[in-house]
Order: sequence, then C-alpha cells, then structure tokens
Amino acid sequence: MSSTTGTGGATLVIEFEVLAEQRPYLLKVARMELRDEHQAEDCVSDVLTQAYEHRAKFRGDASLRTWLISILKNRIIDLLRKQWREQPIEESPSGEQEFDDLFDDTGHYALMPSAVRDPAELCQENGFLSAVQLCVDKLPKRIGQVFVLREVLGTETKELCKELDMTTSNVWVQLYRARMMLRTCLEKRGFGNA
Amino acid sequence: MRSLAKNKMLRLSCQQASRLLSQRQDGPLPFGKRARLRLHLAYCDACTNVSRQFETLRLAMQQWRDRE
Repeated sequence: MSSTTGTGGATLVIEFEVLAEQRPYLLKVARMELRDEHQAEDCVSDVLTQAYEHRAKFRGDASLRTWLISILKNRIIDLLRKQWREQPIEESPSGEQEFDDLFDDTGHYALMPSAVRDPAELCQENGFLSAVQLCVDKLPKRIGQVFVLREVLGTETKELCKELDMTTSNVWVQLYRARMMLRTCLEKRGFGNA
Repeated sequence: MRSLAKNKMLRLSCQQASRLLSQRQDGPLPFGKRARLRLHLAYCDACTNVSRQFETLRLAMQQWRDRE
C-alpha cells in the first residue's frame, strides 16, 4: 500500500491510486452522514484531494483508513456547521416524559427490552448490520447526523459542542433520542432474537 | 447500600436510567449518578438489557463502518 524511498526508509509515499481505493469506504460513511449523494461524492473527492496534498503528513503509525476518516470527519463538520447555521433548528428541551409511551405509569418498560447475549456474535449475524443501517437511515435527519458523527466518525461530545455550537445537554439529548429510536426500531425486528 | 435502595429519592425510574445509560456512552457519569445507576442495574433486568443494547449499537456502528 505504500513504498519507501531514500536510504532511511522513513518516508512513506502514498500513490493517489492507493488513496482512491478507499473511495467506496469513505463514500459509504459520507452517504450515511450527509444523506445526499452529490454532497457525499463532492465531500469524498475533497477528502481524497486533501489527503493527497498532505500525504507527507501520513506517518503510517495509524492505519490509512483511520487517517482518512479523521480528514473526512473534519470536512463533514465544516459542511454541517455551515448547513446548520443556515437552517437552525430550535433546541427542543428534553422533557422527562420523552419516550413516555415506552414506559408504564410506574416508569418501567411497558415491553421487556430484548436481551442481547453476545453483542459481537450478533454483529456477525447475517443481516444484523444491514438492519442497523436501515434503522439509522430512518432516524430524523439531524438526530441521525449527530449519532453518525459520534458513533461512526468517533467524534467526542466536547468536540461536537465546540465545533457545531451545541450545548452539552443538547448533544446528550440528540444522542439519547437516536439510541432510543434505534433500539425501538431494532426491537421491531426482535433485536436479533427473531 | 440497603438503606440507599430503600430511599425513594435516590431510586431511579427506568426512564431516568435510560438517559444515564445513554449519557455514559459519551463520557463518565458524575459520582452520584453513577452510583444510582449501578444500584438500579443491580436489580433491574430491563435496564441491564438496554445497557447491552446500547453497547451493541456502538459495536455495530464500528463494524458496519469497517466491513467490506
């Protein structure tokens, strides 16, 4: 995936073709995050160009994908910051009664949540990851975007607040909604126990 | 611990616990909340299952990203 030059062997030269091989991988993530084919394509092209321009900065101590994902994350944050400023949504306060219908009058779950015996095993199961993807794609856009930034692009809460002008409690609320909606969506499919 | 469990003021509902289960996926909980959640999980199978579901979601997203 890379060749070394010089006598020291310390310089990594990444060919553009090697970067371009990662295009489908980056595109998959960008699509889930941006929910817009054209934007995702443009975004990934920018990422690959930027990565190529700064290829000397790639040290090879992290994997190429990890490095590219960090560039993609920054690019996406820039895009979303602009979009969200143009179309701000009012911060809906998190009421105690949120997801009320999932709970009975005593605050217990109305339906017993499914047990997951072995998360790693479940993720290996045919179709489970596709079911998760389907459920993520169905989340309300902004909630899904915050969730994907967090879980797929590995953005820390602090970074989300700082870069996207969100309060800590708003980040928590969005992620809480995403997780509760996802678990409800997956429960409909038996959470792998079907 | 027994007196703590009996204290209704300190007892979490599953609805409250669900918020903390999500929040702890994004950083350490402050001591009080952590203690109350741990206590709740000790006797609540439903929330223990939800906790596992949240962990599964995290793993699933990472595996979804990296699978070919």
